[in-house]
Amino acid sequence: MAGYNLEGIEAAPLKDDVDIVIPTIRSLDFLEQWRPFLQHYHLIIVQDGDPSIKIKVPEGYDYELYNRNDINRILGPRANCISYKDGGCRCFGFMVSKKKYIYTIDDDCFVAKDPSGKEINVIAQHIKNLETPSTPHYFNTLYDPFREGTDFVRGYPFSLREGVQTAISHGLWLNIPDYDAPTQLVKPRERNTRYVDAVMTIPKGVLYPMCGMNLAFNRELVGPAMYFGLMGEGQPISRYDDMWAGWAAKVVCDHLGFGVKTGLPYLWHSKASNPFVNLKKEHKGLHWQEDMVPFFQNLRLSKESDTAAKCYMELSKMTKEKLTKVDPYFEKLADAMVTWIEAWEELNPPVKNEASEELNPPVKKTQSDGEDVKAKG
Amino acid sequence: MSSAEINKNEVDIVIGALNADLTQFLTSWRPFFSGFHLIVVKDPELKEELNIPEGFDVDVYSKTDMEKVVGASNATMFSGYSCRYFGYLISKKKYIVSIDDDCVPAKDPKGFLVDAVTQHVINLENPATPLFFNTLYDPYCEGADFVRGYPFSLRSGVPCAASCGLWLNLADLDAPTQALKTEQRNTSYVDAVMTVPAKAMLPISGINIAFNRELVGPALVPALRLAGEGKVRWETLEDVWCGMCLKHISDHLGYGVKTGLPYVWRNERGDAVESLRKKWEGMKLMEKSVPFFESLKLPETALKIEDCVIELAKAVKEQLGSDDPAFTQAADAMVKWIQLWNSVNSSV
Repeated sequence: MAGYNLEGIEAAPLKDDVDIVIPTIRSLDFLEQWRPFLQHYHLIIVQDGDPSIKIKVPEGYDYELYNRNDINRILGPRANCISYKDGGCRCFGFMVSKKKYIYTIDDDCFVAKDPSGKEINVIAQHIKNLETPSTPHYFNTLYDPFREGTDFVRGYPFSLREGVQTAISHGLWLNIPDYDAPTQLVKPRERNTRYVDAVMTIPKGVLYPMCGMNLAFNRELVGPAMYFGLMGEGQPISRYDDMWAGWAAKVVCDHLGFGVKTGLPYLWHSKASNPFVNLKKEHKGLHWQEDMVPFFQNLRLSKESDTAAKCYMELSKMTKEKLTKVDPYFEKLADAMVTWIEAWEELNPPVKNEASEELNPPVKKTQSDGEDVKAKG
Repeated sequence: MSSAEINKNEVDIVIGALNADLTQFLTSWRPFFSGFHLIVVKDPELKEELNIPEGFDVDVYSKTDMEKVVGASNATMFSGYSCRYFGYLISKKKYIVSIDDDCVPAKDPKGFLVDAVTQHVINLENPATPLFFNTLYDPYCEGADFVRGYPFSLRSGVPCAASCGLWLNLADLDAPTQALKTEQRNTSYVDAVMTVPAKAMLPISGINIAFNRELVGPALVPALRLAGEGKVRWETLEDVWCGMCLKHISDHLGYGVKTGLPYVWRNERGDAVESLRKKWEGMKLMEKSVPFFESLKLPETALKIEDCVIELAKAVKEQLGSDDPAFTQAADAMVKWIQLWNSVNSSV
């Protein structure tokens, strides 16, 4: 039977391996419609904006909620790396999670139907995408070769047919497409009605615009690179949080040998944000992306950067070095990237590898070497 | 863009005839081939007379014609599936659309027959976007656009060199795969056209393909011939090699290659298990070709298609020649091909 067989995942939904991170300022009513698919899972709600507002979570969902006061309390002075009044604050949820996989979704996204009328189980499809290999080294013209009913085509090298681990699964949206403000202004009535029934790996060395509305990733592999930048209040730019994270995460994945997929699953994006507001928010980004993109396209990470965190630290240095001349904002961003990694490593101390400890007992760091890697109390 | 909007005078439909009876093939394509000029090239090793139904604007070429144009010794370049390249050589049109003679029009999910010719020409006429991946695929089609985060400086795209279509029913799988999954048929209609990013390699199939002859004609080289090459696609790699050359040269010159729609319906022919009995040398050649193309850099001075092919042939001979005589032969064939192309098209 052709298509993605999600029955296995639907029967055993891996709820111990997944956290669903949702940034919100208003309400979580949208979760009512998602019950059949998301109710098994633990939610991490990141409440942006006014912390005194009480966000009501629909009955039956298991969740933890963090508002700005919580973020400040948990991170202390490092809280300044988390955006305020911008969806980029969601990456705080990535940091406090302890799960293998993260799924993040916007609060104006609903369940879509496939062409047969069947409701789409986004989380099952994302898990399937993350648990099956990617093929970034050679493009398969029949798209995902691991899908039932398809395969590698003639001429696809056999040595590349095992694929690599998938780190990111980027889903799409029916109805309101993810357009920038100028495009929204020119095409206010355009709706995405085209259901493209495919998942594909984005080739190595190729960049793409990663949208945070319907996104899943392997936190263990690439979590530290999923920093959504400095956006929103007090910052000169907004609506580039997921773009920044996407470009950074892609170069990190390419360097570490992981794959990034895009395509299914679709969800239904219901709300078109105000294009005039969007234009104000993103207009610096429209110019800066002309520099940001070549920056990411041309950079090369060093061999020594063999984890996502190390890659990201190296990336922060390159950001400061190469992009500050575009705008001083990037110097602030580079510093925030370092803060993010420091905060990440404090909340997520490196897992002890018992085997390697026998051979190489860890040297206790002294004050002069820097801070002890164990988390503070 | 509808079929009324494309200029049929700019297109040649080139069909390589490996089967003598083209009645079913041409009859099924009649709604979409009518109004176009057809070039049918007969496999020089095919003994029977071709059977072509009435009502088509068609020129047929056979071994005799090949020998007249390129000489008897060079005519061997066009045997088997490579016969179609003779059609590419002598065509005078801007666009070529080429479909294997065991394919018929497919139906889309709504039940309508797919006009593969028009879709290919539309793909070729619209820009490609190889420098940045658009997550909504083709940004120029109705109902879609570039997404947020796509650099504006890259939104005008580049010329499209080739349009690689797909296949329902019998997909273009290799013999081991099809032999293992004898019952597998492709039923998945993926409603998208997309540009394959620059520097990404892919297997280009000759079963359902179109290209801009004016832009990249000489780069479609009939060069790699397997020792046991046969009359079913499972026993060839000529198009895969040709595609690797074409993609590399397109990337070098800043052109784009698209993949996706249109689909054709590919009929049953041959036996994958039978093909598997032959020594599968193609696998070895592919494994050697991939690292070669991955690391290859054509000189910046190679700005014309013909120069690119010559440089590529040089590199093949130098770096792959000692690995397998098939590569040396391919390199020689590529050089010969450019000579033929220049001499045949010198008056153009």
